[in-house]
Amino acid sequence: MREEAAIPLVFKAISMLSLAILLVPVGVVILAGLNAGDYLTFPPQGLSLRWIKAFLTSPTFLSAYTVSFVVALAATVISTVIGTMAAVFLTRSTSAFAPFLRGFFMLPIVLPGVVLGLALYVFFVTTGIGLARTMTGLLVGHILVTCPFVIATVTASLVGFDRSLEEAARSLGAGPFTAFRLVTLKIIAPAISAGSIFAFIVSFGQFELTLFLTAPDLQTLPAAMYVSMRYKFEPTAAAAGIFAIVLVVMSMVITSRLVNLKKIFER
Amino acid sequence: MTIVGTGVDVKAGGRLSSSRSLLQPRLWWLAVPAALTFLVFFVIPVASLFGLSFNKSVAGVISYSSTLTLDNFVRIFTRATYYEAILRSIWISAIVSAIALLFGYPLAYVIAKTTNPGRNTLLMILVLSAMQLDMVIRMFGLMVLFGDNGLINGFLLYSGLISRPLPLMYNTFGVVVGLVQITLPFMVLSLIGIIKAIHPSLEEAARSLGASRGQAFFSIVLPLSMPGILAGTLLVFALSISSYVVPALMGGWKVIVLPIHIYQQIAEVGRWQFGAAIAVVLFITSIIAVAIYHQAAVRTSGGRT
Repeated sequence: MREEAAIPLVFKAISMLSLAILLVPVGVVILAGLNAGDYLTFPPQGLSLRWIKAFLTSPTFLSAYTVSFVVALAATVISTVIGTMAAVFLTRSTSAFAPFLRGFFMLPIVLPGVVLGLALYVFFVTTGIGLARTMTGLLVGHILVTCPFVIATVTASLVGFDRSLEEAARSLGAGPFTAFRLVTLKIIAPAISAGSIFAFIVSFGQFELTLFLTAPDLQTLPAAMYVSMRYKFEPTAAAAGIFAIVLVVMSMVITSRLVNLKKIFER
Repeated sequence: MTIVGTGVDVKAGGRLSSSRSLLQPRLWWLAVPAALTFLVFFVIPVASLFGLSFNKSVAGVISYSSTLTLDNFVRIFTRATYYEAILRSIWISAIVSAIALLFGYPLAYVIAKTTNPGRNTLLMILVLSAMQLDMVIRMFGLMVLFGDNGLINGFLLYSGLISRPLPLMYNTFGVVVGLVQITLPFMVLSLIGIIKAIHPSLEEAARSLGASRGQAFFSIVLPLSMPGILAGTLLVFALSISSYVVPALMGGWKVIVLPIHIYQQIAEVGRWQFGAAIAVVLFITSIIAVAIYHQAAVRTSGGRT
């Protein structure tokens, strides 16, 4: 409380502005989705559920929502497993190769999504392995961009981890795997959850990567909204957005109950 | 000593582990699934894309030929429309990084220093939700706000403050606003941890020795935040230069940056080889930018400790 009083007034003022930059567009999407007119204008024309109804009866947006959800779930499970394993190797290995490998795993974040998507599409087409514009091909792309987030989060918590705890378990006779499972895994569990939530977020909202990987009959929610915004700009996209906003806020509230959000970023 | 069910079995192993070498079991197999996935679906595809960029550009054809040429790259660096796009991409990303820092640092500071658990969690949920929400949805919100018939222009016209709509979108300004909106949470999250880790007593000590609040901030807190500032700026720069969706929607295809050129070459002209060459240039530009920032980060944090 004492510290809160010490926050400079300028910082508080700019923070309010920053929060407005972050949140006002989201609020506008909600209003646009609940708006009675054909387009949200000033002054607004009143509220209605017509665009929500349009979304719930729109085959394009509903199936896009499902595709996004399924792909995000699958990408999260796979990248959490392989990412956590890799993070353990990266922090435990004494090999000179490990730091290089760590940087390598982060590359898909640095590499532009459009380039990565294009590279995958060209690869799928030229090798003829039948993944071009398929669900599996889409999933492969999503794993590449979600894995770095799991690796980064779990690695960060393992680096600060006190190895002597595990050594104590070992000296009491636990095998390497048992000691890891009973001591280390318990302690880094919040980081693993945080990493998998990141993975889900990144996948569910992924657009750039999917630019070359989706097909008219295989659209993710961001892709369907983008198409609608470029060619028609209907509020149906905003109504679909409301359902995505609800999903995201709910997942955040649940996460804040499971783990201490601030702890994740303290390291 | 093997993989056993419960904690009770810990004792069953009985003897003390003989040496530290047991603590360093062979771990390489743990990295195999991830490494293999990355090799097959990341290294090989990107390498193939590099390869394709050295093939002669033939509209509508994607297959490799053995005759290599630098034609695509010569074209990129001799035609103004392409090299200007490179400079535009870099310039816009640098501006966005600076603005995101200006808005992000105070918010990160407030979150780091807020001790009330309820308010703290609320702020974290707001920032994380804003970040998690996909970019296209947020661009929809911005477009409704910033368009010629949008809420801002609508309000200003309605109240008689202006007689013609202000050009807020489909120009560089709109793209910068969009990119700041997208990247701000990443800046904030890069900074919270590092600001939190600066012990308040350091600032208090400076204050008790007679430093003003501003002096204490600029000579203690800000330098100690430098690693977070550089990491955040790096992340924002890399995200901005790679963005396709923001220039496409907020720029209305009038602000032509590298990702837009790539899409046009592939989807509209069907010149895969030339599109691949632009992708290679974008890739290398962002790698160089990352390397420069990384150097700066090492130097600054090195001087700090």
